[in-house]
Amino acid sequence: MIALLSDQHASSELTEYYRQYLSVGVFVLASLVMVGAMLGVGYFLRPTRPQDQKYITYESGSDPFGTFGQQNVRYYVYALMFVIFDVEAVFVFPWALNADGASHGGLGWFGFIEIFVFVAILVAGLAYLWRKRLLKWA
Amino acid sequence: MIAALANPHVDFLALSPEIALTATIVLVLVADLILPERSTWQTSRIASLGTLVSLAFVAVLENHSAIHGLFGGAYAVDRYALALKGFFLVATYVTILISVDYIGEGDYYEGEFYFLLLCSVLGMTVMASARDLISLFVALETISIPTYVLAGFRKHDRRSNEAAIKYYLIGAISSAVMLYGMSMIFGLTGETKLSAIALKVSALPDSKVLAVAIFLSLLGFAFKVSAVPFHWWAPDTYEGAPTPVTAFLSVASKAGGFVAMLNIIFFGFGGKAGMWWLVIWVLAGLSMTLGNLTALKQTNIVRMLAYSSVAQGGFMLVPFAAYGIAQSHHQTDVARSAFQSVIVYLLVYGAMNLGAFACIIAVARRTKSGEITSFSGLFQHSPVITVLMSIFLASLAGIPPFAGWFAKFTMFRAAINAGGWAGVTIAIVAGVNSVIAAFYYLNVVRNMWFRPAADDAQPVQIPGALRAALVVCTGLVVAVGVYPSIFGDIADVATKTFG
Repeated sequence: MIALLSDQHASSELTEYYRQYLSVGVFVLASLVMVGAMLGVGYFLRPTRPQDQKYITYESGSDPFGTFGQQNVRYYVYALMFVIFDVEAVFVFPWALNADGASHGGLGWFGFIEIFVFVAILVAGLAYLWRKRLLKWA
Repeated sequence: MIAALANPHVDFLALSPEIALTATIVLVLVADLILPERSTWQTSRIASLGTLVSLAFVAVLENHSAIHGLFGGAYAVDRYALALKGFFLVATYVTILISVDYIGEGDYYEGEFYFLLLCSVLGMTVMASARDLISLFVALETISIPTYVLAGFRKHDRRSNEAAIKYYLIGAISSAVMLYGMSMIFGLTGETKLSAIALKVSALPDSKVLAVAIFLSLLGFAFKVSAVPFHWWAPDTYEGAPTPVTAFLSVASKAGGFVAMLNIIFFGFGGKAGMWWLVIWVLAGLSMTLGNLTALKQTNIVRMLAYSSVAQGGFMLVPFAAYGIAQSHHQTDVARSAFQSVIVYLLVYGAMNLGAFACIIAVARRTKSGEITSFSGLFQHSPVITVLMSIFLASLAGIPPFAGWFAKFTMFRAAINAGGWAGVTIAIVAGVNSVIAAFYYLNVVRNMWFRPAADDAQPVQIPGALRAALVVCTGLVVAVGVYPSIFGDIADVATKTFG
């Protein structure tokens, strides 16, 4: 179908550009049909025996409480810290793989000092969090 | 295993201003942790010393004849970059001077204030050297993100929170729009380096896609420099933020946006000037006219200066448009002098606007008010600050012998030399607007000199740091007004290398 459509009006560059989106459209349509079919078949085949417990939000076994969850702002600090050290890992691992001496084609002392400067700046950030009592849950 | 990383060749001397700033940033943060609560004001000392050290490195590099291109040309340390780095660092030094007492006396976190301020400045010094879409974007975000926090620094004031939220949302949107434009540029050329983009873009035929790509990239900057119709965040943000932060935003941060625009236009889209000059031309006309007409009605001096800075941004966009017009007619000499005119205007605007804000902070220390009427009769009890404020306002209005006239003069010259209906029209619009602007600037002057003071008015005391800031700004505004060649030469040398 796509090949058929793309044969017409092949002269205009812009139309060609938009025609590429046709495959995206087909993809969206196919996914709608598939998801609809799977859920629809399930709806017709499964037995329905409603119980109150079945409609409780699943929270890993413990009883859920409250209505919709407003997160405690303290989690935000932890999320930020996680991102910082995640990014640190992204930089440190490639360095570790190339930490050979310069004569062996590695980064040598230059890389060694650079990575420590980098980590030192992050440690300053961690020291800041610690000093400002952001690591305490209070 | 990943392919081995090559040991990069890094010219540490060329990066020394940025390295000095980074070291200062870490030092300020650590000092804030170590020092006891009552001596955290010492961080301002570290911050200002670090700025001066960084400035010294810029001076050393300036005397170094070799022009450094780093990271395959993505980062350039040439005369142009150094001149702008020098400007940013001086502006920062003055900002620190006018902040010391304001931040020290209020209920603020001092260490964090200088830490965030210097982070933003680091972005600016990188911006001056950025010759690549990615480093340009990273620099712009480094400038912006700390300023979102700074705008909300009066934590318990709702208006300061409003200022921060508005600024943040607009900043995020404009970054998104700009990135979209940049991604299209990358899609069309396959390059991120501006010099390579310039070559590829000139060879491309004029197409709708290219027009949209350039338009969107420029639109992002239009938000950053608060050009009408993307200005509406500016007055609220400027009014809500602590006044020294407002001074910083309206001078250094705005200049950061303009430098980004200079880089991308001059090094990237110069060859396609015919496609974008009209956009800048319209933005310039709208910014001048609407900024000035709205400033006329303001009763709060910070809001008035906010709209005035929108209008001044419009004046600064005029040489951009002139550059585009000249470039599309292949008049390279005219284009180059228009380019210089932007730099001159930036330098002059920085000195006079920071000076005006220093005066406002000095007066507001006593009156605790931002209303223009609080300046009434200032001459009767505080003649020195009245004379200084009058100098800065007269300079903003473009009245000789203060620096503002020279900035306006180069701007008009650029527009007239560019010629054609467009150049002449924008020069006329700018002329009319200069007259309107003079009215509201001089209205404040009239208030200070001729209106009676309140009966219980006390003289304004100016603390030492603020006095130093006023001396620097007044010195620059008067010296450049009398000997314009000071800044003229800087701009001339800065652009000489581009021929």
